[in-house]
Amino acid sequence: MSLQKARIQVFDEALGKDVIDLEYLRELAFQGIPDANGLRPLVWRILLLYLPLEKNLWKSTLQQKRQHYRNYIEEIIVSPGGPSDHPLNVSPDSSWSAYFKDNEVLLQIDKDVRRLCPDISFFQLATEFPCPEIAYSNGVKRLHRRVQQSVLRFSTLERRGLGVAKLSNEIRRKDTHAGDYAPLREGREAHWEVVERMLFLYAKLNPGQGYVQGMNEIIGPIYHTFACDPNIEYRRYAEADCFFCFTNLMAEIRDFYIRTLDESSSGINNVMVKLSECLKKNDPMIWNLLEVQELRPQYYSFRWLTLLLSQEFSLPDLERIWDTLFADAKRFDFLICICCAMMYLIRHEILHGDFASNVKLLQNFPPMDVSLILNKALDISKKQNRVNFTVCTLDPTRPCLVGCTRTGATHSRRVAGNSATS
Amino acid sequence: MAKKTYDLLFKLLLIGDSGVGKTCILFRFSDNHFTTTFISTIGIDFKIKTVELRGKKIKLQIWDTAGQERFHTITTSYYRGAMGIMLVYDITNEKTFDDIVKWLRNIDEHANEDVEKMILGNKCDMEEKRVVSKERGEAIAREHSIRFMETSAKANINIDRAFSELAEAILDKTSGREADADHARIAVERRPSRAPPTRACCT
Ligand SMILES: Nc1nc2c(ncn2[C@@H]2O[C@H](COP(=O)(O)OP(=O)(O)OP(=O)(O)O)[C@@H](O)[C@H]2O)c(=O)[nH]1
Ligand SMILES: [Mg+2]
Repeated sequence: MSLQKARIQVFDEALGKDVIDLEYLRELAFQGIPDANGLRPLVWRILLLYLPLEKNLWKSTLQQKRQHYRNYIEEIIVSPGGPSDHPLNVSPDSSWSAYFKDNEVLLQIDKDVRRLCPDISFFQLATEFPCPEIAYSNGVKRLHRRVQQSVLRFSTLERRGLGVAKLSNEIRRKDTHAGDYAPLREGREAHWEVVERMLFLYAKLNPGQGYVQGMNEIIGPIYHTFACDPNIEYRRYAEADCFFCFTNLMAEIRDFYIRTLDESSSGINNVMVKLSECLKKNDPMIWNLLEVQELRPQYYSFRWLTLLLSQEFSLPDLERIWDTLFADAKRFDFLICICCAMMYLIRHEILHGDFASNVKLLQNFPPMDVSLILNKALDISKKQNRVNFTVCTLDPTRPCLVGCTRTGATHSRRVAGNSATS
Repeated sequence: MAKKTYDLLFKLLLIGDSGVGKTCILFRFSDNHFTTTFISTIGIDFKIKTVELRGKKIKLQIWDTAGQERFHTITTSYYRGAMGIMLVYDITNEKTFDDIVKWLRNIDEHANEDVEKMILGNKCDMEEKRVVSKERGEAIAREHSIRFMETSAKANINIDRAFSELAEAILDKTSGREADADHARIAVERRPSRAPPTRACCT
């Protein structure tokens, strides 16, 4: 039996139990989830605590959550109701102003989802499972329509209170610059529109956070994984399931996204400090050089950490890395080890570089076999854990992360901006 | 360590609302290329380009910042070291123009007092979608005694010119300082009344 087949079998067995042993599943997933039979999307659902461990609860949980999601779409997007839709509405101003405030958020989301994963065509393609109420609305319910209006006709709309439908016609004529992201024909929806909808709902349901740039880079890979599930029954609900998994994941990392928490213990600055300390401990020479060059961790690690490395690697490599991150019980301690390993593995270049070439190098991490990075990260983590006398969640007898990584497309996703003249 | 291949090093900073085209402008300048497929900037990005001005090799170290509010604590820490700041808005988006005032306040709070500034009204290739007239751009620049240009990263309008003018302004200041301390003082005093060149473009 091939290694791949054997690993699939191990996963199948672990998932076959009536009550899933989360510790064990984490251990397995930590070493990479096989890219077969929809294992990854299923295991991510469990690791992100969306699916309960008791399998007899799966059906009802999924039914319930997916129904919730349908309700969100209905209440927030399709028929938001409230006074604005009522003909006898007495306070049109307030509801209109809320509408425009939402549109500001939407405008930012819209810009970002159109810039999501430009190196792959996936997000421009039509989904098999569009939201019918929106896809068959003559364009009226499409979120991006709303922002095109607010950009171009904000004042007109506010002043005259024109009907949305009428305006969208006007815009359609004007918009000659839609490019690849032209809305698909009636009844169809592109994947980027689905991502836009999820982010908008998230912003509406979490007003404390709203939408922050970078969230698109977190939700994108999850959605991609779910929407490519070979199992059609799961694929059909990729959107709803992804929304809740994303919500759960954000609950763990949201402090990175809140400016006022930058200085708190859970905020991004503290995590950058931790990385710097980890580097100092594991590679004092590099750490020292970067200190001397005044190359601050925030120049590169701010993005690494807030996006869980999503802009640094190609999508298949990223999925492999996220298997490990999602399996990390103490999320996201291992992330710091990975970042530290990344720096260690290019230490030779760093040592020979000046400030400028090192910033460039760190901001455009070179293609590399991810299993190399993950194995080095594991070394660092073991050392760290020995030093700190904390309990290691990993099986210490395992020598390394066995390679079920896929190499190949190892170029970074930050394609366009990579080269720089000097 | 790399050999020093330049005479002067200028640190420049690009700021402005998200989506106005900062990354595209920088990419056009550094790689002479335009692509619509940039991912949004998270935190801060960095490019280097060496230019020649008045027989001097000048290395431009350009920092491209993220526009969204959330990133301001991260990005404002870069203002201090900057010798030149390009403040970009989008001529097809009113709000990005209104926010210029906010960005100027940020500069006042966080940048060196004598930092050279320039306002860029980007996307001037999209005449049919224009909502901010060139006159309004010129007016706000005049009001704050700042240089102004309309640019297009897409059509490659005024991009090189913007960078070299900003670099030249910094060079004026630096060489003045090097040559003669008195002269530098005069230059600084004279600065506020100096009319910014608001040149025609995009016509
Ligand atoms: N027509 C036109 N479009 C442009 C021009 N410059 C940028 N764009 C478009 O504007 C979009 C945003 O440009 P970016 O350079 O990514 O914007 P940014 O200011 O870096 O945004 P953040 O990184 O989010 O702060 C791109 O997708 C381009 O398609 C221009 O000169 N003309
Ligand atoms: Mg940018």
